[in-house]
Amino acid sequence: MKMKPLALLPPLAVLAMLLAPPAQLFASSHREAPITALDQKADITDWYAFVSPEHPDHVVMILNVDPFLEPANGPNYFPFDPNILYEMKIDNDHDGNEDITFQFRFTTQIRQPGVFTGFVGNLAGIPAITALDGAGSEGFSLRQTYTITMVTKHGRQAIGQGQTLFAVPSNVGPRTMPDYNALRAQGIYNLPNGISVFAGTVADPFFIDLGAAFDSLNFRSAVGGGVLSASVDADDHHNYAPNTLAGYNVNSIVLEVPISLLTVDGKMHAAGDKNAVIGTYGTTSRPRVTVLRDSTTNLAGGFSQIQREGNPLINELIIGTGSKDRFSTEDPSNDSQFANFFLNPLLAQIFGSIGIPVPPAPRMDLLPLVQYNAPICPGCGPQDAGPIADLMRLNTGIPPTPFAMAKRLGFLAGDNAGYPNGRRPLDDVVDISARAVAGILADPKYNTPIGDGVNTAATPLPSTFPFVAPAYSGRDSVHGAGPGQPGCSGQIGNVCPN
Amino acid sequence: MNHSLAICTLSVLASVAVCAQTAQTAAAMSPAEISIQKAEAQIAKQPNHVPYYASLAMAYARRARETSDVAYYAKAEETLERSFKVAPDNFDALKVRAWLLLGRHEFAKALEAATVLNKRVPDDITVYGYLADANAELGNYDAAVKAAQWMLNIRPGNVAGLTRAAYLRELHGDLSGAMDLMHMAYDSTPFQEAEDRAWLLTQIAHLQLLSGNVLEAETYATGALGLFPNYHYALGTLAQVRIAQNRYDDAVALLEKRYSAAPHAENLFALAEALDRAGRKNDAAKAFAEFEQKSLLESNITDNSNHELIGYYVDYAHQPARALEIAKQELARRHDAFTLDAYAWSLAASGDYAQAHAEMQKALAFGVKDPKVLRHASEIAQHLSETAASR
Repeated sequence: MKMKPLALLPPLAVLAMLLAPPAQLFASSHREAPITALDQKADITDWYAFVSPEHPDHVVMILNVDPFLEPANGPNYFPFDPNILYEMKIDNDHDGNEDITFQFRFTTQIRQPGVFTGFVGNLAGIPAITALDGAGSEGFSLRQTYTITMVTKHGRQAIGQGQTLFAVPSNVGPRTMPDYNALRAQGIYNLPNGISVFAGTVADPFFIDLGAAFDSLNFRSAVGGGVLSASVDADDHHNYAPNTLAGYNVNSIVLEVPISLLTVDGKMHAAGDKNAVIGTYGTTSRPRVTVLRDSTTNLAGGFSQIQREGNPLINELIIGTGSKDRFSTEDPSNDSQFANFFLNPLLAQIFGSIGIPVPPAPRMDLLPLVQYNAPICPGCGPQDAGPIADLMRLNTGIPPTPFAMAKRLGFLAGDNAGYPNGRRPLDDVVDISARAVAGILADPKYNTPIGDGVNTAATPLPSTFPFVAPAYSGRDSVHGAGPGQPGCSGQIGNVCPN
Repeated sequence: MNHSLAICTLSVLASVAVCAQTAQTAAAMSPAEISIQKAEAQIAKQPNHVPYYASLAMAYARRARETSDVAYYAKAEETLERSFKVAPDNFDALKVRAWLLLGRHEFAKALEAATVLNKRVPDDITVYGYLADANAELGNYDAAVKAAQWMLNIRPGNVAGLTRAAYLRELHGDLSGAMDLMHMAYDSTPFQEAEDRAWLLTQIAHLQLLSGNVLEAETYATGALGLFPNYHYALGTLAQVRIAQNRYDDAVALLEKRYSAAPHAENLFALAEALDRAGRKNDAAKAFAEFEQKSLLESNITDNSNHELIGYYVDYAHQPARALEIAKQELARRHDAFTLDAYAWSLAASGDYAQAHAEMQKALAFGVKDPKVLRHASEIAQHLSETAASR
């Protein structure tokens, strides 16, 4: 029988081919839910919220998206997706619903349509890229601007209206961008009302031995197979196992706002006051599309949430695969449907099966992660706990710890400004979360020093805004830090264990 | 079109030049060739890993789309057989098989296969795509919309769902809405997927042309050819643009190029029509004759060019009885808007305008605004009106 190629099909049948996922999407993990595994641009890698060590009356929120960006992957590198609505959400009255939302929308310009790459400098008569706008920006062809809108019960308000905000591109390399740090500094904007913002490509601050974690917790025997020695556990500055994220970039939106803009009554409060505590999370959404429109004025009316993140690793480590998509698209205030995952986590059962002592279920000790309770909210009584909701809770009354003195184990190490009281980029949430699941919050006797041996980020984290390190250079960076490769400064010869 | 989409349009237009240059300089192999090479290497390394065979079969099918070379379908089939030897009844291979049924225009069988697969794995988005495809081609538009909506609900913004929704909007007569979705799909398609992006630009060009925006259609079709040189889809669409511009000789040149790359009966029919419009009557007659011969050979199988053959018998050969016979035969297989239009047009040519009008109303029920269908509808309605007036 003769068969024709799809050229002869009416258009619709041809579309089936577009279902074939692009090969690059299989190249990375760091993607937890089945939906977002197919929507890398909307994939939230990490959500951070902490009181600024620079300005203790401000909160910093960081929404990182688009994982495993290979710094050399031109020619377009890593623009934000203009079709995605990026949002930072704050619950300040403890009902699990957002009361304040900061929305970010991006727009792309192609300024040099005849040029073969999105960024060019010191070539073909085009000067090096030294500015985001004006002279020195000629080679900045694929340029993105963005807007910020603050949404409250009182309405919508454009933030920084009248000022053009440019997203900072990835670091292409020294010929194109000879002083990348100076270029990036131009993308830090101080806006009215004490708000600062940055959006752009940065070095991914997350750190984890991802390969070992997802190989059924097959941690390196050289670092105790998942249970750290006292010396490794006490070392906040060196890595003893490969950091899978080393050398990869990520797209980051960083917003610093006065605490008084976020609390329920517009005031700052002491740590013992329940109104000092806010719940935060980040989301990505795409326009909701109705196949057949009723009018010509909409794509659909509204947005569909693709992903959210409050506490780190909840979706990755706690939520069952069959529920991950639903979890991603739900509002936190509906999280009671996932209560069993929180109160009897499979990971705790696994720990128990390999001889790590864990408290019995139901795990009420984990509720502070998903409800407003002490110790994060010491001022909250039983009536203030609110519904089970995966939010990153932050007590804004707890003063920040200078980063130089901060502890990677945060709250567990007596550094109360660290996770799970908010989250800073330096917090070792892998080790903290694992120990929380193992019961450290229930009773100090459940103190097995679980850890992957990756104790710090690959690149030193800045202690000033935007608190994330500049993007790796496309031309000059290497990943390293694989098993058997250099990159583990805690090990002899700097070589990571297999 | 709203503000953001206007910017989006500019972005696509501007990036065409960028993409074109990069595609020409960077891609020695096409995306499908790269996929074939990768899957073959994976199979060589792990011959018992079943998903690799489905990847290879899909890559061959994709290469068929890129080149219009039917030999790749045979390779896809052969690969599936190898897969079934390793793991009989494996889901991945069955999905590819359903897709190949669509490729052969076996829409009823494809719907049956997809329905079985859907029951087996209810949440597989690919299978919903096949349900949408098969139902749309059979004329079951409500079911097609339902399947496409499911895709967009479960994975908002996914390219496959967007493009299916765009086609259904087009059939529904919402051309600007279809363009909106094609632009969204374009924005979400990875840069290196040159052929996918060229396909999307070709679809946007087609929609612009249907909307009467000839210059915009030219820009997008040209952009598609820059992105994926000699792309047979884009050649056909650019030829339609040239016809709209009354540049018939240029249209003929483009359609000759397409027919050379994709020597199928319907492509020959388009070429014959362009030759006729260009005033090359002898060449046109020769091409029409060759088309008729070629089309008749495949008329009784599902993968046919019966819509064009009906048009030929009505508009050029003036043999309405033969047109009606073929239209009835095709209508037994499917009742989509274009088949209903062809049936109505052959009924009208046979003098049965009342029945033609009734069938045309069915064709128009979903909202299709295809110029040819609308012209047929208008002529049938006008004839009935004049007949009534003369009484």
